[in-house]
Amino acid sequence: MNVSLSAQNIVKHYGGVVALSDGNLEVQSGQVLALIGANGSGKSTLSKVINGVVVLDGGQLLLDQKPVHFSSPHAAIENGIATVFQELSLIPNMTVAENIWLTQEPRNILGIIKKKEVYQKTNELLALFEGTYKTKLNPDTPISALPADEKQIIEILKAIRLNPRILILDEATASLDSRQVQRLFKLVNQWKQEEKAIIFVSHRMEEIFQIADHYVVLRNGKSVGTGMIKDTNENELVKLMVDKTSVFSFKRQEKVKSLELKPICLKVKKLKTDVLQGIDFEVRQGELVGIGGLQGQGQRDLLLSLYGDISFTGDIQLFDEKVHFKHPHAAMKKGLALVPGDRAKEGLIYIRSILENLLLPSWRKYGTPLRMERSRKDALNVSNSLNLKMAGLQEPVSSLSGGNAQKVVIGKWLMRSPQLMLLDDPTKGVDVGTKAEFYSLLTRLCDEGKTILFYSSDDEELVGLCDRVLVLYDGQIRTELIDASLTKENLISASLGVVSEVTE
Amino acid sequence: MKKTTWNTLMARHPALFALILFVIIIIINAILQPGLFALETLNNNMRVFLPLLLLAVGQSIVMIGGGIDISVGGIASIINCVLATQVGLNGSMEDMWKFIFISLLAGVLAGAINGFFIAVLRLQPIITTYATGFIYAGFALFLLPNPGGGIPRAVADFYRTTTPFGLPLAFSVIAVIVLIWWYVRSTRFGRYLYAVGGKADAAYQTAVPVNWVVFSTYVISGLMAAFSGIAITMLSGSGNAEIGSGMTLNSITAAVIGGTAMSGGVGGVAGPIMGTITLGLMQNIVSFSGISTWWETLAKALIIVVALAAPGIINLFIREKK
Repeated sequence: MNVSLSAQNIVKHYGGVVALSDGNLEVQSGQVLALIGANGSGKSTLSKVINGVVVLDGGQLLLDQKPVHFSSPHAAIENGIATVFQELSLIPNMTVAENIWLTQEPRNILGIIKKKEVYQKTNELLALFEGTYKTKLNPDTPISALPADEKQIIEILKAIRLNPRILILDEATASLDSRQVQRLFKLVNQWKQEEKAIIFVSHRMEEIFQIADHYVVLRNGKSVGTGMIKDTNENELVKLMVDKTSVFSFKRQEKVKSLELKPICLKVKKLKTDVLQGIDFEVRQGELVGIGGLQGQGQRDLLLSLYGDISFTGDIQLFDEKVHFKHPHAAMKKGLALVPGDRAKEGLIYIRSILENLLLPSWRKYGTPLRMERSRKDALNVSNSLNLKMAGLQEPVSSLSGGNAQKVVIGKWLMRSPQLMLLDDPTKGVDVGTKAEFYSLLTRLCDEGKTILFYSSDDEELVGLCDRVLVLYDGQIRTELIDASLTKENLISASLGVVSEVTE
Repeated sequence: MKKTTWNTLMARHPALFALILFVIIIIINAILQPGLFALETLNNNMRVFLPLLLLAVGQSIVMIGGGIDISVGGIASIINCVLATQVGLNGSMEDMWKFIFISLLAGVLAGAINGFFIAVLRLQPIITTYATGFIYAGFALFLLPNPGGGIPRAVADFYRTTTPFGLPLAFSVIAVIVLIWWYVRSTRFGRYLYAVGGKADAAYQTAVPVNWVVFSTYVISGLMAAFSGIAITMLSGSGNAEIGSGMTLNSITAAVIGGTAMSGGVGGVAGPIMGTITLGLMQNIVSFSGISTWWETLAKALIIVVALAAPGIINLFIREKK
């Protein structure tokens, strides 16, 4: 059952955004290939091209040296390619057995599913991870009743139900505990013996070095390096991931080094949520603090819990005053503002006018009946100071470009003159020119004495813009980077959980 | 811990609440109307409930698949008008059979039109079926502008008075539906239905033919609406283009009372069946309790709101306690 898969010059774009411009990889029976890359480097897109979830725009896939074209996941599955999806492909309302065997249920002549056989085969699969379950798992348990790690295990079992020839593990270890990971690796080694080919997408260096034979490094949608794991080390891989030719042109003005004299604006102690494992940090007034790390390490939870949008435990002090916000409204009253990650869904009402969007959080200020003239003048001032490119305040937000729409989100909070702004990846999908405007806006705001907590998936931005960067990993602050240590190499290696700092 | 048991219980048996309500309503009704279980009363009730019951079963299947079908009333109206105008009071039995067959085809076709718009063109189910519902209702009005026409007396009498096994005809129909449903649930299609309604993108990644499943739910719903139209024609013995207009929302109500989730992926067929009978008996209770006709609609609506809100209220109560 020898198999080989080769992806050559894969191109994929979503709308105008190029996710992959030149993706290459090659994997064969009995090999584990690690697919490595920083945020947005195209790892997930490349694996989705291979398993047919997205259709490629260019390049070709060769399966056993023959070109293949997968127009749907069905086609890839037929060819023996199975995937453990990062965001899980399980149906919450259905049971463990129903989920694992979905579309592959054994049936009798009348088309009736053989429940006994399903049950027995499910138990055989469940036995692979026997001893690592925390709940009394049986084939009849509904998925929604399981904790995250057991859902992940079911997802893995679902992928191997058909004895695939090629198995893609996309961040399959993300929610597993160490015992479960070791069990998975034991199985992976067994599958290698069975001549399966395995593509291992992960951001955990230690795991990559433990299990993989080969690697492919992706950077900005291109494969930039490949080789044997035993011939390389963590630092070399990190260097490959780091983009040398920086497109980040913003030059930050030398900041007056007086931050130490400023009062502490925000003090967080032992902040815990479902995702966060206890976060401690302080931010001084006027400071621009970045939050880095790979996506989904708890950055969003951190911002949302500060904003009172999700429940948490721990102490938060705002200018020496103890606060525990239970609702965003309470946070807004204390001068907090959140620029959410998904501006289309959470930040703006697209079909309404720019004016209405700008005024939405501050109508209260304009009394009853509303003083429309004054509110319009204020809105105009804010939009001018933001250099908002628009046909007029009456135009709907949907008429604006991504960057200008994001300015409206920031503008609506500036109308309330907030003390502390929480930004959740505000430059995502924003063009380069507007990005530069953002950077000068953010530094200007900080100089005016506003404090900014800035999560970004763009590492260059964090390094170039922030006074300090907190790197989150597994719901904890892994490293704090400041001054000389604030380099892209350090940021990326800390994001990946590499302990030793890279020095050049 | 109490929370999980109640929630898992509700998750595993979505019709449980419908069953509780069903029993309560029967008891209240039996107290107000002691002869409820006499064959004749039972049959009088059941033959009136049957058209909505058929509609609610189809509606529930669409809802399990994650959609909604607001055109079912219009489809039932078309069928009623086709039969009433084409067969006529003096029509032959052959004609009756022929047009029953044509009605079923028409129902399937109407459902397929809905399915095409929703599954292939990816339009919003609620908007699409609202619009096609108008088309179907308009077409019914075109066929029969004024109430009239009819079907042979013998056919109507057969529907009204037949009591196989000493039970109302509706019971046999319910038995057949439950049997077919049991079969469907044990096939792959049954699994696909719940998977698509539960989380369509995950189902797609698992190679479930999502579009095909969505399409088929509307065809099934159209077919059930045709059966419903046939039943209501036999019940009334005549034609009326407006006959289905009030039934659409009732079918959704019956499905929801029966534990079918508007969000999809949860529900069944036993629930909506009990839900329909519950709705009908509520009407009985309101009439028997001597509430003046002015307040009848309000009283009925209040009971429905309470019935719909009850699972949510129970959940809230459990959360608070915790």
